[in-house]
Amino acid sequence: MGPFLALIGSALTLLAALGVVRFPDVLARMHALTKASTVGLVLVLLGGALTLDDTNAITSLLLAGALQILTMPVGANLMSRATYGARGIESTVDTVDELAEDLAANEPAADDSAADR
Amino acid sequence: MIAASFVLVALAGLGFGYRLLVGPSLTDRVVGLDGLLIVGVSAITLQAMHTGEGSFLPVAVVVTLVGFVSTAVVARYIEGRGR
Repeated sequence: MGPFLALIGSALTLLAALGVVRFPDVLARMHALTKASTVGLVLVLLGGALTLDDTNAITSLLLAGALQILTMPVGANLMSRATYGARGIESTVDTVDELAEDLAANEPAADDSAADR
Repeated sequence: MIAASFVLVALAGLGFGYRLLVGPSLTDRVVGLDGLLIVGVSAITLQAMHTGEGSFLPVAVVVTLVGFVSTAVVARYIEGRGR
């Protein structure tokens, strides 16, 4: 069971790498990395936890998996927001762009927070 | 089966390395670096499964944390600088 989960997780990581190489846009590449490789890495870590029988190893693996699940979406959100707002990085949002509406609605507040920094 | 996992992870590392070296914008390079960190943690775990020896596994936790902090820092950096 453990090695099988690790194999599936590795395949998902390879799919994420394929998306990172092939996708045409910055945000699309980040999308491929975040979704696929979070699940892939957690599957590999779970496979390791099922295979090893040392308590120390199992807790390390589960802690790493929990941290990955907690931090990967947050990091990707920070990164994509910075990319969206940065000058000189081309990024396109296809149909629904809720961040633009949000920024337009809160224009004065955004200026205040920019002045505070 | 673990050997096959090693091969898949190594191929993924090649893809992420390509994006790290080539990727036109700074965000692309961060994406490649994040992917390489994931490949590293996977390789540590697979090595522990292969040898049955888990004494190297706390490194996986540390690498996960360092990856998140570096992503957040570079995001702040990009926010002000642009390309």
